Amino acid sequence: MSLELARRLVEILLALALIQQSLEHLRGFRDERILFGARIGLAILVLAGVAGPWPLVGLAGLSLLILHRFQGPYNGGSDRMGLLILWCLTLSRLSPTPMLAELAFGYLGAQLTLSYFISGWVKVVNPDWRSGRALRDVFQFSAYPVAEGLRAFADRPRLLRAMSWGVMGFELAFPLTLLWTPALVAGLVVAGTFHLANACLFGLNRFFWTWLSAYPAILWLQGRIF
Amino acid sequence: MPPRVQALVAPLKLLAPALVPSWNFFDVIAPAPRVEYALLASPGDTGGIWRVFRPRPERVSLARMARRLLWNPRWNQSLFVMSCAERLAEDRTPEHSETELFRRIAADLAAEPADATRPWLCFRLVFVHREGEALTEEVMVQPAPRRLAEIDIR
Repeated sequence: MSLELARRLVEILLALALIQQSLEHLRGFRDERILFGARIGLAILVLAGVAGPWPLVGLAGLSLLILHRFQGPYNGGSDRMGLLILWCLTLSRLSPTPMLAELAFGYLGAQLTLSYFISGWVKVVNPDWRSGRALRDVFQFSAYPVAEGLRAFADRPRLLRAMSWGVMGFELAFPLTLLWTPALVAGLVVAGTFHLANACLFGLNRFFWTWLSAYPAILWLQGRIF
Repeated sequence: MPPRVQALVAPLKLLAPALVPSWNFFDVIAPAPRVEYALLASPGDTGGIWRVFRPRPERVSLARMARRLLWNPRWNQSLFVMSCAERLAEDRTPEHSETELFRRIAADLAAEPADATRPWLCFRLVFVHREGEALTEEVMVQPAPRRLAEIDIR
């Protein structure tokens, strides 16, 4: 995959993700409607491939105003990943040399890999995760399960222990998928399914669309390095 | 640092954790905040009935989960409310978080019939955590009540 194609795919997927998120804010307070209305306009320009790279620059500038509005990300990790994608894309588009453009975009692919590996590492060093207790806590009392009925999963410790090891094993092994394109594609399918499950069980729909939009960056990086 | 420079640097400080992320999702399962609110007759009224802000439904159908992939504003707003609760409990952006919580609760209450005898709104943050095998609850924050009519929900 060429750099140009990968960047364009990320742009399209990110623009769609931003439009989806921004539409949700149009139900919010007036200042939110103004900020996110503007974001929809700029994202449509990015989607259409018009006047590049300036709509991306506009989105990057607007992201600072949105961060100021909420005094941080609105939805934690998913918004942070969205910002990372947006800023890497913008810097790559504005880079004066092809090498700097590749570096900015490659950084995104590298961070995507780290997003899985480090998440796995911080879990596997925690005894509560290794025993399944942490995932039990998530279902038992955390704010995430979308329905009270899902809390019943906390009563199935063996299943949760197996699920914990499944998640940790996948996250830790993810960097190995970079060695072979079919393995990477399979890894991304598993990762996408993982985000889909999180969206259904914990209502984290933004994670699903945001992470998905960064996948072309890692496919490009894999081809560039190996 | 001069206030003008501070204002310019502040959003970049908020951006930095996104550009150099830690990726430590769910490394530890922290105490979970629950927002409860009550309408009061006066700021000193202790007889208000505490209600959970946006309690979860017992079940969510698969079709609804699928729809929420594309349209999930209420839940995402609830996640933001949880972030504000955590920030307030940790004394990060306390004024902003407190105002956001009052505004979000007041906006929901605007859809219900008003109770003229209880014009004051109060909320509290109850943190649930596990001690051994038992779940315990602790009220960690309860700011001063605000008059409901004076909370900007536009």
